[in-house]
Amino acid sequence: MKPEETIALLNLVFVAAIFQFMPLLTRQGIFFSATVDPDFPRSVDGRRLLRSYRWQSALSAVSAIALLLTLPSHRPGLVVLAPMLIMVAGSVCGYWLKFREVHARYGQRRPEIRQAELSSQPSRASFSPWLWLPPFVAMAITAAYLQARYIELPLRFPVHWGADGQPNRWATREPLTVFAPLLMGAGMNLLMLGLAWMISRVSRNTIMRRVTVRLLEVLLYPLTFTFIVVALLPLGLVVPMWVIPGFMLACGAGLIYWSYRQIAAPAIADAVPEPQNDAYWKAGMFYYNPSDPAIFVAKRVGIGYTMNFSGRWAWVVMALTLAVVVGSIALARQAK
Amino acid sequence: MASAPTLRIDLDSAVPAYRQIVDGLRILLVNGKLAPGSELPSVRRMALDLGVHFNTVAEAYRLLAEEGWLDLRHGRSARVIYRDAPDPTSGSLKEFGYRLRALLAEMLANGAPTEDLRNALRTAAEELES
Repeated sequence: MKPEETIALLNLVFVAAIFQFMPLLTRQGIFFSATVDPDFPRSVDGRRLLRSYRWQSALSAVSAIALLLTLPSHRPGLVVLAPMLIMVAGSVCGYWLKFREVHARYGQRRPEIRQAELSSQPSRASFSPWLWLPPFVAMAITAAYLQARYIELPLRFPVHWGADGQPNRWATREPLTVFAPLLMGAGMNLLMLGLAWMISRVSRNTIMRRVTVRLLEVLLYPLTFTFIVVALLPLGLVVPMWVIPGFMLACGAGLIYWSYRQIAAPAIADAVPEPQNDAYWKAGMFYYNPSDPAIFVAKRVGIGYTMNFSGRWAWVVMALTLAVVVGSIALARQAK
Repeated sequence: MASAPTLRIDLDSAVPAYRQIVDGLRILLVNGKLAPGSELPSVRRMALDLGVHFNTVAEAYRLLAEEGWLDLRHGRSARVIYRDAPDPTSGSLKEFGYRLRALLAEMLANGAPTEDLRNALRTAAEELES
């Protein structure tokens, strides 16, 4: 098996595991995005539905892996994309069918009680500089260290590695190339912080907001670690291939578990709850509520936010995201 | 630190959302939980939290400003101001009495025991006076 295929296989297994776990990553009283009795997921019918979804999702994962092993290996794009699409489509379809069944047969209607905090200053308790500042300090210290040992850097050093772990792109010693990993790291960190700031400003004060903001702040640490290691490689730092993905995976698993504990906790009530009615959730996944001015709404399943697709901003953001993805692929192809 | 008061509305209710906002805020203004000098959330923030249109909240703020509870100036948060209660006229007292009787009749028609109503009225009056 080629290294690209091994990576595609690992990606499939990782995403398959997420789909198996996903229905549990939700608030109490929500099951497959439908409002139910809080005890329903533990009932005989609840367990049967979960088991059935997991079998459907596992079947699509097995089909995707079978496709990966049979596809011609000289088409790397196809090898990565087609099996992943098969698996995601199969699991999402299974999820949608379960949403329909739960909503129609076991769904409940909660009163549409809305609540607002009467303070002119919105609560932003979880946005802490003590958490997000250290990664920037660490990068500044690394930059100072690189500057101090600039003369010891080799005139030519690797800046990109292939799936087999061998360098495939090189750069010459210039300030921009030496400090590029740190600049990119700082840029990524600022992007994460900007996202956290925006969510803390424009979303309702729910447990999901606290979890998402904290998650984005903590994500700065594995990102900073990765960019610092890459920046120090030209100085002869020897790091085994598995360290960075292993560290990222461990951080990701830890953060998902912590988020699950927070989101699924029965005791924590939202200070400002999201709209409750299932009718706002199309196929259990897409929020559509024209009377709600919110652009970002806490997801019913999983971590983070989705958008209110009744407003034009959601479509503008979607179009921009799509344009960035398509543009990046086109630029990457042109560069080859 | 004392937590900020909260406003609750029920979108399933037959009472329009702007009226519920006015009524809910007026209770907090009368019982002093929103004291003169307090700032209310911006129209945008309140509409976002309640999941209602901006105009719904703007209309509620405008009605409370007309009653003399709020100072609304462009580019500033709505601020609670000191307000002297006007002298009641016989017409307004008759109107409030009628509305109260209609509410009590509705509660009795829905099965609320008389003793509970009496206690609820006494508690509400004491809370508003305190």
